[in-house]
Amino acid sequence: MSDVTTASRDVLRLAQPRPRWFAPGLLAGIGSAVMAVALLACSAWLITRAAEMPSLAFLGLAVVGVRAFAIFRSVLRYLERLTSHDAAFRQLAELRLGIFRRIVPVAPAGLASTGRGDLLTRLVRDVDDLQDLPLRVLQPLLVAGVTAALSVIGIWLILPLAGLTLLVCLLLAGVLGTVLPRSLAARADRELAPLRGALADEVLEIALNLDVLTAFDALSPRLAQLARTDERLRRATLRRSAGVGVQSAVVALFAGAATLGALYFGIPALERGGGLLSPDLLVPTLVVAVLVPMAVFEVFGMIPLAAGAWRQVRVSARRVADVVPQAVPAEIPVDVVNPQELFSPDQALGPVVLELTDLGARWPGQVDAAVAGVSLRLAPGDRVHLAGPSGAGKTTLAQTLVRFLNYTGSYRLNGVEARLLAQDEVRRVVGLCEQRPWLFDDSIRQNLLFARDTATDAELEAVLARVGLAVWAAQRGGLEARVGERGALVSGGQAQRIALARALLADFPVLIVDEPTANVDSAGADALVRDILTAAADAHRAVLLISHTPVPDELVTARVTLPGR
Amino acid sequence: MRPLDPRLLRYAHAARQFLLIGALLGFAQTLVVIAFAWLLTRAITLTVAGEPLSTIMPTLAALAGVVVLRSVLIWLLEVAANRGAAQVKSQLRARVMTKLAERGPDWVASQQSARLSTVVTTGLDALDNYFARYLPQLLLTMIATPILIAVVLWQDLASGLTVIIVIPLIPVFMILIGKVTQSVQQEQWQALQRLSTGFLDVVGGLGTLKIYGRERRQFDRIRSITEEYRTRTMKVLRVSFLSGFVLELAASLSVALLAVSIGLRLIDGALLLGVGLFVLLLAPEAFLPLRQVGAQFHAAADGLAAAEELFTILDDDSIATVATVSTADAAAGAGLAAPHAGQLGQAAGALRLAGVTVRRGDSVVIHQLHADFAPGQLSVLRGVSGVGKSTLVAALLGFVPYTGALTLGGVAVTAGAPRPWLAWAGQRPGLFRGTVAENVALGAASAEPGLIVQALDWAGAAEVLPSNVLGVNGDGLSGGQAQRVGAARAIYRALATECHVLILDEPSSALDSDAEAGLLAGLRHLADQGRVVIVVSHRPAVVAAADHVIELQELIHV
Repeated sequence: MSDVTTASRDVLRLAQPRPRWFAPGLLAGIGSAVMAVALLACSAWLITRAAEMPSLAFLGLAVVGVRAFAIFRSVLRYLERLTSHDAAFRQLAELRLGIFRRIVPVAPAGLASTGRGDLLTRLVRDVDDLQDLPLRVLQPLLVAGVTAALSVIGIWLILPLAGLTLLVCLLLAGVLGTVLPRSLAARADRELAPLRGALADEVLEIALNLDVLTAFDALSPRLAQLARTDERLRRATLRRSAGVGVQSAVVALFAGAATLGALYFGIPALERGGGLLSPDLLVPTLVVAVLVPMAVFEVFGMIPLAAGAWRQVRVSARRVADVVPQAVPAEIPVDVVNPQELFSPDQALGPVVLELTDLGARWPGQVDAAVAGVSLRLAPGDRVHLAGPSGAGKTTLAQTLVRFLNYTGSYRLNGVEARLLAQDEVRRVVGLCEQRPWLFDDSIRQNLLFARDTATDAELEAVLARVGLAVWAAQRGGLEARVGERGALVSGGQAQRIALARALLADFPVLIVDEPTANVDSAGADALVRDILTAAADAHRAVLLISHTPVPDELVTARVTLPGR
Repeated sequence: MRPLDPRLLRYAHAARQFLLIGALLGFAQTLVVIAFAWLLTRAITLTVAGEPLSTIMPTLAALAGVVVLRSVLIWLLEVAANRGAAQVKSQLRARVMTKLAERGPDWVASQQSARLSTVVTTGLDALDNYFARYLPQLLLTMIATPILIAVVLWQDLASGLTVIIVIPLIPVFMILIGKVTQSVQQEQWQALQRLSTGFLDVVGGLGTLKIYGRERRQFDRIRSITEEYRTRTMKVLRVSFLSGFVLELAASLSVALLAVSIGLRLIDGALLLGVGLFVLLLAPEAFLPLRQVGAQFHAAADGLAAAEELFTILDDDSIATVATVSTADAAAGAGLAAPHAGQLGQAAGALRLAGVTVRRGDSVVIHQLHADFAPGQLSVLRGVSGVGKSTLVAALLGFVPYTGALTLGGVAVTAGAPRPWLAWAGQRPGLFRGTVAENVALGAASAEPGLIVQALDWAGAAEVLPSNVLGVNGDGLSGGQAQRVGAARAIYRALATECHVLILDEPSSALDSDAEAGLLAGLRHLADQGRVVIVVSHRPAVVAAADHVIELQELIHV
């Protein structure tokens, strides 16, 4: 575990259930594995002893033992799986909360390249995959390790040399069975991973752009190129395939060696004597020493699998640690100790004037400022259209105004410098409709209510009507209609309208709308811009609309253009 | 779930090859297992008989040989499975890509191309485990289990019968438990689906939650979502783990039953130790592949599900391959480009659509459309969203079948390949990994640097360097730049091959007004050269620049 960084170790620690939850599964697992070994040992002893034709009374205990081991082995295994899964799921809540607690202060701007939705999906999947740490890494390692150790001690008591052989075979199988496949797999991966990536990219490009390739008569060469990449991947995989089965082969080889060793050392010992428990080694006991390794190695086979799972868990932990910063970067604001207040918590919000002087902002990990030199004044009743070429920093400005990013220069709300206010306080008065509004996988009602949880159904319906969704919502079955995962059941324009409805419910004195038409087909864009500005217009509210599509003059009170950079 | 889909053998002959090799190796493994048990029994009986080590040594040497042989066979079977998986994946991929090319863009668009490509690449990797873990065990169940049972029966009838009685109980219980699991799962399915995405919902929406000051309330929500997820999942697991329980119980109980019955008969002298021990060693081996098949059920299900998606694509014959045209004189169209090449401006005539009707599925999208697009003019095609503008363009490209006549300068032309008369840029830029120059000159026999610069210039993208290297799907350009490079590609084709018709679908939807003006100026040059230039757009600047506007009317379905 030497190459695990402190950051990923912290993450891994979060994934491991506390001993109180972990112990029952572990004990049941060890119990089940020990019983599996005992079942074979007891059966072997029973048969060889019976062949000596003693009176039945001598075998009574063994008969009971065989049956009990058979039943308890299965029962305990069932209990092990139940309790260990339960523990892992219990810990999942702690793990998710632990990660979430670290994300909250820096989200969304401080998560590495958050613009990509798939990065968050990946993060969430990685967090969930960390459950494998207790389930598929630690549990099998401990169960197999303890069972193997107990078996070695047991055999050693019968015949020290056989115990030693078993120990050596287990160690060799453990080392060779994990180290060898690991280095082979690593080498294969280094060769195969880029080929797999290239293949995936080429397939995606062809599938996505089949129309272009067809229209430009370029499909056949592309397919030929894909076939060549596929061929290269296949050849590389075939070359590497010899390394694949090594692990099972090694385990099987040493299992056999342990059995042979027990016979080889045991047979002379029958005459000579040499058992630790009794000076005379008896045949039934020898047979136990010969057959037990077979059962031990069956349990031991879990270790190479656990090593494989560990490699994956470690990668997941590293990825989680990479995305979640250890400390809040300088570009992300942190609240000052004694923040000022614009309005006291129990007071209703009044009008707000927003002033920017020479404002600049930068994203974490970037050297250059993404936006600079912005001066602007927004007063109640203003509706300002902010334009500018892509890359001018329009979205950066929006993120800065809601304090997701730190700023240089001056940003004042009613004359108070924003960095002297708590972030929550700024976000009480400055609202943002994001470029890609996030809709929660719930009903329309729930998606609106979290903006103001005291709103009545009548108020919700009224606000839907204001943003032009009354008919649509009614057709969908009213407020109970679900919006789907990430708003999959609503179009880009409807999502923007729901986001606006949310912002209107929260009744922000200053409202920023960031590129509402980015994911809307161009035919619907103009109507959407018009509807947004009409619905948001209010004498007490200042609206800043960021948009690259033209906005009619009568809808805005002023225009600002950010220069291209 | 069928354990082995016959379509796998039909579509990928490497699978057949693997089954054959695997069966041979499985048979050899079975023989080795029997040899091991027999030699081990012999060594022990010799020991019991009081023979010295020197007498037993040959048996031990043979045993060592068998152990080595067994490892080698295990290794070979895994190698064969790995190679088989690689070959099969490659063969399936090739088939699917050929199928995509046959089916054409319109069909692919209906399939969600991103999902499609996942199915063809990483999705197929699920077959690795299917081949590596499941199929070999399935083969062993069919080969090793019957042989081992036969050997046990032959050695000791009573033990053999015990095994024969227990083994069929396993599949019976597995099916019963499987049914119960399924019904429990169905009960929980919807809730579990929702809960499993709950955390992602909170993390993904964290920015939104912070805007509304709701981020701190999410701690309780995450806890309750995860807690509910746990209780519901455990409900399912309590049942589904039962199948593993039954498998293990059957295997270990039958060993216990055999051991006790053999032991009792040994005391009576009714059985020899050699036979008893041999049977005791073989019986668990008969159960082993069956237990593995049960344990690897998930590997199998994932692999088969991945393959199933591919088979659905390969089996789907519902849509006939695009029937390009149905005009009477379609055959005359193919030779159009050659005689007119080089005479652009004088000879090229209008593009005329006469009675063009386009259907999608059962519904008529375009009905009996008559339209003339004159050469030298910039024509704009507009209409409300969903009226069928893009469908009409797809029909002209030959991606969607249509009826009616299509003539260019009075000569019938064919929609569909080859389409030397048509250059087009779609709504999506559709760029590829490579340089901008490679993208612009896509499909051209040779790339002329001067023409590439001109095409970029006329697309209003003069600032984009041809040597710029783009990532996958044209990554590295802004949305507006990518759109103009896409337009430049169509312009390049028009210039390089002297296409008569240029169609651009919403070319300025992501452009600011300056860039839009640059593109419109370029299009004017192209029209001035005598081309038919058609732009699908509703942008005011584009409509203002048009010589001719065609409004597509919504069809009123009676």
